[in-house]
Amino acid sequence: MRKFMFLFIAAILLATVAYATDSQIWGNMRLTNILEYGKENSLHLGPLFVKLQSQYFYKIFFGILIGVPFVFFLHYLIVGPKVFSHGGVKIYAFSAFKRIIHLFAVIAFVIIVPTGLMIVFGKYLGGGTIIEYARHLHGLATILFTISVIPMFLFWFKDMLPTSDDIKWMFILGGYLSKEIKEIPAGKFNAGQKMWFWVATLGGIVMIITGAFMYLQDFDYGIAKLFGISQIDLLRATAITHNVLAFVVMALFFTHIYMSLFAIKGAVHSIITGYKEEEEVKYLHSTWYKKLKKEKKI
Amino acid sequence: MANTWGYGAMTNSLGDIQNAKAIIIFGANPAVNHPVGFGHFLKAKERNNAQIIVVDPRMTKTAAKADYFAQIRPGTDIPFMYGMLHIIFKNGWEDKNFINDRVYGVEDIKKEAKKWNPKKVADVTGVSEELLMQITRVYAKSTPGTLIWAMGLTQHSIGSSNTRMAPILQLCLGNMGVEGGGCNILRGHDNVQGATDMCCLSHTLPGYYGLKDGSWKYFAKSWGVDYEWLKGRFKSKKWMNAKGFTLAKWYSGVLAGRPGEDKIDNAGTNLKALFVMGNGITSIAQQAKVKEALDNLELIVLADPFVNEAAMLTDKKDDVFILPAATQFESSGSVTATNRSAQWRYKVVEPMYESKPDHEIMFELAKRLGFYEEYTKGMLIKENKKSFKFPEDATDEIARIIKTIGLTGWTSKRLKFHTDNWHLFDEVSLRGIGPVKGEYYGLPWPVWTETHSGSPILYDINRSVKEGGMGFRNRFGLEHDGVSLLAGKNSAPKDSANPDGYPEITADNIEEVLGIKLTASEKKRIGKNWKVDTSNIIAQKCMERGIAPYGNAKARAKVWTFPDQIPMHREPIHSPREDLVKKYPTYKDKPNHYRVDTKYASVQNKENWSKEFPINLITARLVNMSGAGLETRASKYLSALTPEMFCDINPNLAANHGIRNGDMMWIHSPEGTKIKVKAHYSYSVGEDRVFIPFHFAGFFQGEDRTGNYPEGTEPYAVGESANTVTNYGYDIITQLPETKGGLCRIEKA
Amino acid sequence: MNYARMKFYCDEERCIECNGCTVACAEAHELPVGISRRKVVTLNEGIFGKEFSTSVACMHCTDAPCEQVCPVDCFYIREDGIVLHDKEKCIGCGYCLYACPFGAPQFPRDGAFGTKGVMDKCTMCAGGPEETNSAKERELYGQNRIAEGKVPICAAMCSTKALIVGDEQEVSKIYRKRVASRGKGVQGAPYGWDKAYK
Repeated sequence: MRKFMFLFIAAILLATVAYATDSQIWGNMRLTNILEYGKENSLHLGPLFVKLQSQYFYKIFFGILIGVPFVFFLHYLIVGPKVFSHGGVKIYAFSAFKRIIHLFAVIAFVIIVPTGLMIVFGKYLGGGTIIEYARHLHGLATILFTISVIPMFLFWFKDMLPTSDDIKWMFILGGYLSKEIKEIPAGKFNAGQKMWFWVATLGGIVMIITGAFMYLQDFDYGIAKLFGISQIDLLRATAITHNVLAFVVMALFFTHIYMSLFAIKGAVHSIITGYKEEEEVKYLHSTWYKKLKKEKKI
Repeated sequence: MANTWGYGAMTNSLGDIQNAKAIIIFGANPAVNHPVGFGHFLKAKERNNAQIIVVDPRMTKTAAKADYFAQIRPGTDIPFMYGMLHIIFKNGWEDKNFINDRVYGVEDIKKEAKKWNPKKVADVTGVSEELLMQITRVYAKSTPGTLIWAMGLTQHSIGSSNTRMAPILQLCLGNMGVEGGGCNILRGHDNVQGATDMCCLSHTLPGYYGLKDGSWKYFAKSWGVDYEWLKGRFKSKKWMNAKGFTLAKWYSGVLAGRPGEDKIDNAGTNLKALFVMGNGITSIAQQAKVKEALDNLELIVLADPFVNEAAMLTDKKDDVFILPAATQFESSGSVTATNRSAQWRYKVVEPMYESKPDHEIMFELAKRLGFYEEYTKGMLIKENKKSFKFPEDATDEIARIIKTIGLTGWTSKRLKFHTDNWHLFDEVSLRGIGPVKGEYYGLPWPVWTETHSGSPILYDINRSVKEGGMGFRNRFGLEHDGVSLLAGKNSAPKDSANPDGYPEITADNIEEVLGIKLTASEKKRIGKNWKVDTSNIIAQKCMERGIAPYGNAKARAKVWTFPDQIPMHREPIHSPREDLVKKYPTYKDKPNHYRVDTKYASVQNKENWSKEFPINLITARLVNMSGAGLETRASKYLSALTPEMFCDINPNLAANHGIRNGDMMWIHSPEGTKIKVKAHYSYSVGEDRVFIPFHFAGFFQGEDRTGNYPEGTEPYAVGESANTVTNYGYDIITQLPETKGGLCRIEKA
Repeated sequence: MNYARMKFYCDEERCIECNGCTVACAEAHELPVGISRRKVVTLNEGIFGKEFSTSVACMHCTDAPCEQVCPVDCFYIREDGIVLHDKEKCIGCGYCLYACPFGAPQFPRDGAFGTKGVMDKCTMCAGGPEETNSAKERELYGQNRIAEGKVPICAAMCSTKALIVGDEQEVSKIYRKRVASRGKGVQGAPYGWDKAYK
């Protein structure tokens, strides 16, 4: 709780420092920004943003929103979930600390993704106060996410590093395309989980940063100067990045939900109790199972 | 200027500037001081391809729109103009006919101009020879050319010489009395000209009548008041004719007798009470002295719509009274614009809360002091009324009495009619159509009779007197050193019964000059001269015969009553060039200068000021602020534009002192005072000067005094006053403070 | 029926940075201090021959980019080209600012903890979607002068008539007259018109 307050206060203070400087958008650079917009050898971020936002983004979001769940729905019908016995030994996978941090992340994501989508489709939902609060919630939940993502990144970093298993895993798509139960090459975490991890943490941090830029709007931390662009161009690039990364995050988020809640019966218990089923580990994380056996942990 | 040709006011009008082919601006910043009026300058630029030349110590907003810009050292305008004349005479670009017929004393000017070759001018002013040559050529060859100036020229110890030099330049080029020419001094607030015409000054009666007995007697008669009673109001007769203190140096009246203070001649007593009515006391130089004086008065009364800074500045706690005066929206009356036109201002709302219009405050004061009847009698005389209607009857009283500047035509009825019908007048020529055909907007004075059209362009002999034409005024006698001061042959206004020069009209010479015969009854009623002719016979006859009542004389380049007969350059009292101080020293100390023994040479020679104070100090205006800032700093949005006192400083100069953009810095003055202001990098000033705006108050030498404001009256924007560090220096004739030519020392705070 | 198309034009040869437009707008619409719907920007201050001032606000573009990107579709464009928005629909996301070539949208920090509030911008004194000249419209958007047939206050107040607003035919006429009488320099179109009005 103290950490939360600390971070919260720090964010506000930092924000006030940013506001104390001269405007980076409405000052003298406003004229150069006007001249730069759409100019021959400029970055064209302005016109690009307008085109993407008005014509493409919402379509892609809609596609992912409908498409990904639909694909998994089909998968559930056709291939069905993997079932493993729950009678065997329980293998300890996640400590209490990790589970609590993951819980924070869960809550954060469950708020962030829907509110983000509410912003994207605001006009179909009537706009106004509800969507405005959705935007505020989106930002507040980011704070919760920030608190969870940093420890999460640190404690799972090593486990998530790519190994040779991952390439093999990719080729068979983790074995999820067949009903067959056989040993899948994967360590504690398979390639799919690793992908999600990196997108959620590194991608998540980029989302936090880009989101913060859009929230603070008129600040001067020397970042625009670092890239050699104007502040307004930085904001445009930020908006584009935030949206594009959101596609990836959203798609993989839905995947993660499907995988952890539906694709493997009872898998969700592992993040609640911390224990995985022996059979599940033996088949889906065969490399890790063999390692544990060798170390006489089982 | 009045000493050059008779009237000291803007000779043409703002709209007339659109006729100019060249506009040269000395020490004025119309883009900031007259933003709306500046539209005329820009239109001249557009329509006539008029060349705009700006001569100013810093790159102002006006200079940003100029074609030529000379960044001159403060206080060196006379060498610059002599430099121009040097080139003009050398190339024969002067208007010889004009000079022959209408100017006296140009030979002496030519002699002096010969000394000022471009190289010497470059050394003294800092303007390169090439630029001087360019500017002179453009200005002399693009006629008509108009010359604009404002405080930048007048607020110097040689201000009275500056304001003679500029007319001389225009006279030599023949730019006077023509459309698009003239000397156009830009007056500040909307009724400064009116206040000047009513002479709210200590050296003359209203209408520039002076303080001689003749004038007092004329006013006594016109006001219906006993002359002896008036005389009795003074301590002794001597003081009735003696000039009083000025706004610039009243503080000496309080502080005299203390060590180091200037002596005064004030009938053996110091000033005890001060009544301030609508004046920003913090816009006077030497604020530290002003504060000391305020602290030592027995009574201070401040009448303003906002709390006057004097209340905040003084430490005096008792006998300080703040009277809420009404604003311009809560009162009506005539206001005189910079071009001598009058407009009628209508009340829009009744005075709010307890505020009273100024006249009511004065009437109440007069009642309590026992002379209300005498005070208001003048308004009842014209129609022999029992009670007066203010302000209409006051306006009519002015029209009835003031003849020196020809206000006879300024009846309240006519002024109101013009203002109500301002859409019927042309913005450039001021001519009216329809019901106001034949009249000029606002009836620019002189308006010799109650039906006269007004005079938009002074000294224009291409128009008949009936239409506002006239020659130069015969004010300085008929001849000097054997040379006639009357205008040459055939240089009278159009359609004149007398085609040559003639003297000012008196009861004695009217028949001869006009070529008429007066009836016996007229001879009995006629006034002694045109200035005191209550019967208006002189004005009427003159209009019939096409004669200007004030004569038709030559303008004079030489003023034999001044310490410098022709304008001479003298270094500012605090000058950055010690070598030039020796060559062009300032005046000797002047005793009893408006009752104060004012120092000149003794200050300049006290030490080499430039050693310890090497930076030129420039003060000027901001477009969103006005005067002492009372009103404008109490406005949210205006304050938001410039919320703090600052100093424009060249980045090179600042870097040499370790001052970064936005740092606080001290500015020290030779008087020993200092102010703490924020540095603002700007390339508009050179490396040897800094600029500070004079609109701020609230801090004094680093000390926050805003706690002195009564609850809820503190303005939004407060800061140091520039006048805390303006130097000791006063004009030799007018005692105007030398705020535009001073020195300072800067350091990082 | 031939509708007028309203356009702004600021003549940089006449603009003297008096800020009359800025203050007039702020006073007329009682804006919070810090929000300047109209702003005067000066480049090269203090350098003779290079100093340049112009007054910038929303240009009310044809196919306005702000309207295109708004996620809640709070913008609406009038027949006469004036671009307005509904503050009750706006969520303050900032997309319109990123889309705008002129930097017109601004976000007063009047949310909780100083968060970004809803967008505010020049309305060309044409109010908003609320009932014309109602108290609510006045509070949210400022005066509605267009409905009264009056000129937007910034142009009405301009000291030197550098800032002009009105039907594009009339404004272009004035522009051409000025350019012709200046007789020098090549002027394509008024500053900013190539981006605002395609």
